Formats: sequence, C-alpha cells, structure tokens
Amino acid sequence: MSKVVGIDLGTTNSLVAYVESGRPVVIRDDNGDALVPSVVSVGEDGTTYVGREAQRRLLTTPSRSVYSVKRFMGRGIEDVEHEVALLPFWVSGDPGGVVRIGFADREFTPPEISAFILRELKHRAEEHFRARGDFDFEVDRAVITVPAYFNDAQRTATRDAGRLAGLEVLRIINEPTAASLAYGLDKRNRGTIAVYDLGGGTFDISILKVEDGVFQVLATNGDTHLGGDDIDRLLVEQVLAEIAGPKEQDATTIEAIRRAVIQAKWDLSDIDETEIRIEPSPAAHAGYLRTITRVDFEDVIRPLVERTLEPCRQALADAALQPSEIDEVVLVGGSTRIPLVRRVVEELFGRKPHSDLNPDEVVALGAAVQADILVSGRREMLLLDVTPLSLGIETMGGVVSKIILRNSTIPATGREMFTTGVDNQTGVDIHVLQGERELAADCRSLAHLHLGGIPPMPAGLPRIEVRFQIDANGILSVGARELRTGIEQTIEVKPSYGLSDEQVERMLLESFEHAEADFEARLLIDARNEAESVIHATEKVLRRPDFAALASEQLNAGERERIDTALAELKAVITSSERAVIQEKTHALNHVTQHLAEVTMNQTVREALAGRNVKDI
Amino acid sequence: MLECRNCGAGAPVDEHFCPQCSRILALGRHGDYFTFLGLPRKLLIDPQDLERRFRDLSRKFHPDYFYNATSGERLASLERSSYLNDAYRALKNPVSRIEHLLAIEGLPSARSDDPSTGSGQTPAKVPPSLLEEVFALNEELDEIRALRESGEDSEPLLARLANARKPIDAKRDEHERQLQELSARWDSQEQAPAAEKRATLTALRERLLERNYINNLLATIEREGSGLQPQISLSPKP
Repeated sequence: MSKVVGIDLGTTNSLVAYVESGRPVVIRDDNGDALVPSVVSVGEDGTTYVGREAQRRLLTTPSRSVYSVKRFMGRGIEDVEHEVALLPFWVSGDPGGVVRIGFADREFTPPEISAFILRELKHRAEEHFRARGDFDFEVDRAVITVPAYFNDAQRTATRDAGRLAGLEVLRIINEPTAASLAYGLDKRNRGTIAVYDLGGGTFDISILKVEDGVFQVLATNGDTHLGGDDIDRLLVEQVLAEIAGPKEQDATTIEAIRRAVIQAKWDLSDIDETEIRIEPSPAAHAGYLRTITRVDFEDVIRPLVERTLEPCRQALADAALQPSEIDEVVLVGGSTRIPLVRRVVEELFGRKPHSDLNPDEVVALGAAVQADILVSGRREMLLLDVTPLSLGIETMGGVVSKIILRNSTIPATGREMFTTGVDNQTGVDIHVLQGERELAADCRSLAHLHLGGIPPMPAGLPRIEVRFQIDANGILSVGARELRTGIEQTIEVKPSYGLSDEQVERMLLESFEHAEADFEARLLIDARNEAESVIHATEKVLRRPDFAALASEQLNAGERERIDTALAELKAVITSSERAVIQEKTHALNHVTQHLAEVTMNQTVREALAGRNVKDI
Repeated sequence: MLECRNCGAGAPVDEHFCPQCSRILALGRHGDYFTFLGLPRKLLIDPQDLERRFRDLSRKFHPDYFYNATSGERLASLERSSYLNDAYRALKNPVSRIEHLLAIEGLPSARSDDPSTGSGQTPAKVPPSLLEEVFALNEELDEIRALRESGEDSEPLLARLANARKPIDAKRDEHERQLQELSARWDSQEQAPAAEKRATLTALRERLLERNYINNLLATIEREGSGLQPQISLSPKP
C-alpha cells in the first residue's frame, strides 16, 4: 500500500509526519532535523534546491532563491506591493490576477514554488520509508495544513500546489485545529480550548469545544500577514538604518542581516542579551556589531505582538465566551517561543498556556492524524471545522449579500435567488466575494461567474437559484438552476487570484522538466547541513553573555584559540564541493568543542537547579 | 419516500441509512430540520440534547468517514453533513428556530423585512403595536439631531438618547417574554384544532416582525449615539 502523510507547509519551515501504529511521528533527516526551511533555490545549471541548502544559497546567490512564498499564495500584486522592498526576488503580476515571482531568470506562480517544497517533503518521506525497508514506499496522498484564516483563493492555491507536486490532496485542514488534534490524543478529555498559533507569516486563533472525541471549532479569527517574518523585517530595517557602506542595500547584505537578526531573535528566547554581528563585506559595508537585550527587542516587537489581541477578542465574542471560560490555551508556531508572546497570551486568558509539545511540530502531527482518520476510517476522533470568513455575492449598488456567515460549521450550504433585469435576458453575471465588510470593494473577490442558458422570458420572471457549497476543505463550489424550467445553468468560474485547471495541467507537464539534485549532490548537502548545525551550536555558546566568565574560569589554555581556528576552517569550506573535507572539518570542530559543551551543559544544569530543593528534583 | 441508489429499496424520507443495505441515503428534497434531527416540532428544546444529536449524527455522516466510499455515497455524506450543520445552526438559536417552524408550517417568511440583511433602512410599515413608541422616538431623535447641529454639548444629548431608548428596551423585553409564552403554548398544542395552532403561529410571526423592527430602532439609536460622540467632542465650543 502506498503511504499517506500529513504536511505542515509553513511560511518559514515545512514538515512531514505520518502515523505509525496509532501514533503520529515527524520524519527527520540524519541530523535529527525535522524542519525543512521553506526556501527554494535554482542553480545555474537548472538544478533546484529546497531546504537548508537553498537557505545557504540565499546568502551566496540571493537572486536565484526565494523564501516565504506562502505569503503570496492566492494573492494579487496589489495585496503584496508594500512588502516586497527587501526581498531578493522579483514580484510582479497584473492587477487583479495571480502574483508571479521572478528569480533565477524565470517566473513562477506561488503554487509552483510551494510544489518544489512539497516534492522535497514527499522525497524525504519516501527515503524514510525506503530506508526502513518498506516494500511500497511511494507517498502519493497527503493532508496539507493551511492557516485557519486563509481565504478560498489561498486554500485553492495550496491544493493546486499539492497536485503539482504529484500528491493527491486528501484534505486541506486548518493549522490550529490540526494542533488541537495532536494535543487531544493523550488527554481524551472535554473542555474548551483556545489555540494561539503565531508562525512565520500568519497568525490564527481558534476556539474549540472538545467532547466525546469530537473537536468542534466554535470560532476562528486571525491575520494572514502577521508573523515572525514581520518581526525580522522590523529588525532588518533597524540594522539597515545603522549599517554604513557604499552598497549596504544589496541583496547579499540584506540576507546577511536577516540571518543575523533571526539568530539574535532566537537567542533572546533563552538569554537576556546577545549580539547582532555581521561580518564586513569589503565591496558593500564595513560590518556591524551591537548588543541587543531582551528589553530592547520587546520594545521593537510589542506593537506587532499586540496586533494578535484583537483577533483573539473577536473569536471569543463570536464563540460567545469570556476569556475565563477557556479551560486550556495551547501555543503553536515558532514565534510563540518568544517570552513576550507568552506573557501577552497569559495575560489575556488569565492562565498559563500549554506548550508541552514542540510548537514547530504539533501541526504536522495533527495533519498526520487526520490523514490516518481519512484512509483508515477510524472513528474515535472527528474534526468539525468552520469557514473563517463570510461568503456572499455582490448585489445592487456594490453591496455584499452574505450567503454563508463566518464561523459556520463546514461542510455548509447557502442559497440565493436571482432573476433577470431585461426581457429575454439569457445570462447573468455574478460576483462571488469573501469577507466581513459591507461593500464589495472592501471584500476579497473570489470569482466571477457567468450563468448562461436561461430560456428567454420577460424580465423578472426567471427564478434562478444559486447554490453555494463549502466542502470539508473549506473550499467553495457554486451551482445554479432555473426553477421554473428546471434547467441546470452552465457555470463558468473565473477565479480572481487562482489558476485555471488548464494552467495547472500545463504546469504539471512542465514540472517534469526540472532536474532535482542527484544522489551525490544530496550527500554533499547532507554534509553541509551537519556542518552548519555544528557551527550554529558552537556560535550560540560563544554569544552567551556569561561566556567570558565561563571561559576564564573553566577553559584550558589555548582552548578558545583552537575552537576559533576549527570554526573558521569549517566556515571556509562549507560551501565547497569537497564532501570529505567538509566532513573532516566538521569532525574537527566537534572534537575541539567537546569539553566546552560539557562545561556549558553543567553550567546550565547548575542554573536550572539553583534555588531548588533536593526534594524537588 | 427515498430510493436507495445502492440496492433500490424504498426508505422513509426521514431515514439517513437504507433499511435494506444500510448504505447512506441521498438527501432528496428534505425540508424539515426537526425531523432530520429526530426531534418533534417543538420550540422549547434542551440545548444539550440538541448538541448531542448533532454530534452523534456528525459521527455518522461526516465526509471524513466516506473517503473510500463510492462517489454516490461521498456525495450523500457531503449533502447530509451540510444539511445537518445548517439544521443545527438554525435550531440552536431560538429566533431562527421559530423562523424555521413558520417556514415548514407554510407561513410567509418573517425575514423578508429583516433589516439586518438589507441596507439598514427602516422598513416603511410600522407594526401597529409600536406606533406610539416609534412616533415618540422619531420626534426625540429629530430634536437631538437639530441640537447637535447647532453645537450643543454631547453629554446631555447622550443622556437624552439613553432616556429615549428606555421604552424601546422595555418593549423588547416584553417581546422576548411573549415569544417564550407563545413558544410554550405551541408546544402544548399538539392535539389542538388546526385553527388554534394556526393562531399561535400567526402570533409568533407578528412578534418576530415586531422584534426585527425593534432591533432596527435600537440600531438607529446606537448609530445616533456613536455619531454623537466623536463629532461633538471634536468641534470647538462657541
């Protein structure tokens, strides 16, 4: 039997998981790394790279790489114009049409780029199943998660990406709901849960009621343009304003700054102070170094974090609940590691949020559980999700008439009656919209429909019933019938921000032309990945505020110098193509840092135990 | 009567699964949310019982459980799940529950005058029982508007507005009580003559129409109030 998996297709990182004898497991690489950075890079020879290798290429050849593509899924150029300034790739498109992303001398649509990432995850899973000796290791079906607040166009774009990657998309499910499923596995309890999901690019809040294994979403809200990316951009802008040099705004510099501020952001979740260090680049700038404290960092990001509160209040209001009526709060998404985020959530709900599961992995685990439910027919759990935004059509005067209200449990249906305005009119145009605002101009345009084949009749006589159906994926389809004659109308849907079936078919054919890295190249990439994780671990220790004290007390003479040398040597070869050399230098750095690792580990344990009784341990 | 598309056996319209082959049945033209959920046509229902029925049926119909089924069964599961969700939503709320009852009992819709879905304009026809209150309110609103335009302080105007609201609020409370009473009467009339039942339904419909009108009046007062606050506090005093 071919395999089914659950995929978390994230803005920053993506993961794949599956269910093994009733338990969901995330699939890791040889370094134990579950995260595949959602970065795609195309080499000069046309080879595509996804993940860590693409992330490294982002620093060396930024113009051939693309990241955060999820922010562009199902969007138009007018939605994203204001945020493309610092990106190394080119974003274009006709107003009211699909965004196009230009890099490596080519243009792609966002679903095509997401498909590269999905293919990499499919490949990773297949390698995993092959390595453990499964006879049929092919992965051809998947549940893919999306932010709960994704609109119809964004969901459809995600489904198209799955098709382009050669996956049958069993179901599109919402990330916070998937997370609740993973959490609900152990505790078969009942109660009201709030899932607060702040990821790389999107924010969701979902309120669920759990009873008898039924996970029923009561309300959901969010912001599909709010996440870790925005935090990074604020910090990058600050550094850019301070860094001096003749060409400080070039793509390589911006990517180096981005990498440095992200590292600092991560550090500040664990320690109170760190530094942002950017090595000088002779042609562009003179380098940069400053210390940043957690307090500085929180001052910068506070407005962003507080933007998550209004959606939370709205979701509570829609669920007709007070914050005190929430039994449990669950944190999802890498950005919920930020201490300020935790404090803000705790304040709002008046209780400590849960984070026993890894916030990066919990969504993929839930997706795997849902995939297993679908193919196995197991019935102990059931997810009842809602549509996040109201659906309607444009009526006289540009006003929206809502047909299905937000937070309606899906699948759901809605109906609206139409008639003609002119004698013998045989067709009607309908504009389908999604959103909460009164005017069509303020809502998201989903599609224009043309109903044809109405028999000639006096104006006002035809009774045309337009029927909306939202399926369990949260995706809309439309049907229509003239009730007097019973004639089914022909409907032609022109998606505003999506791809037509023909476009998807054509892309499917084209996608086979892309070469992917071969076996040798993959081994090289694995070696670089391992080197990079050792470099990161070492540098993180060197940046500790207490490192100087630690070094003078506990390191041997010359130890620091040996570490610095090994570190520099490994950094010098990491982008070379000599796999054996990279492995040798990685090994060397591992070797000379062994003692340092022990020292810091002991220090951390001492700090953790300080002030605690022996009885507590 | 439904016909099972799998085995061809006949099934009563309120069955969900074929009595012969136990496959899920196509929905057909079902129109009654009460019987779909296995409930009598009553208005005062136990919300926990309703929720339990909803969960139980969800577990029977949900498309998740028909992924490997034939396309006909998948369609039936989608139709029944959608219908179940619509039914639960309609019956959960006491007002939409009455609206559904009126619809299946063949009364004209009370929603056509519902201002919440329209442009927000007050319907032209004032329900006779509200004439007095509406007249008084409109007079008061006109005066408040005139005073506002002449630059009057916002605070006393807001106080007048709050005062003008009181009789309308009282009317709404009275209507809620009447809806409750009428609902209980309907529930006790199972064996009653058709004419008596019809009278109850007609009264329910009238109360609903009035209720919509009252809500609309309250919305007008709210709008007037929110218009008062920023505008007047920002304009300089003469």
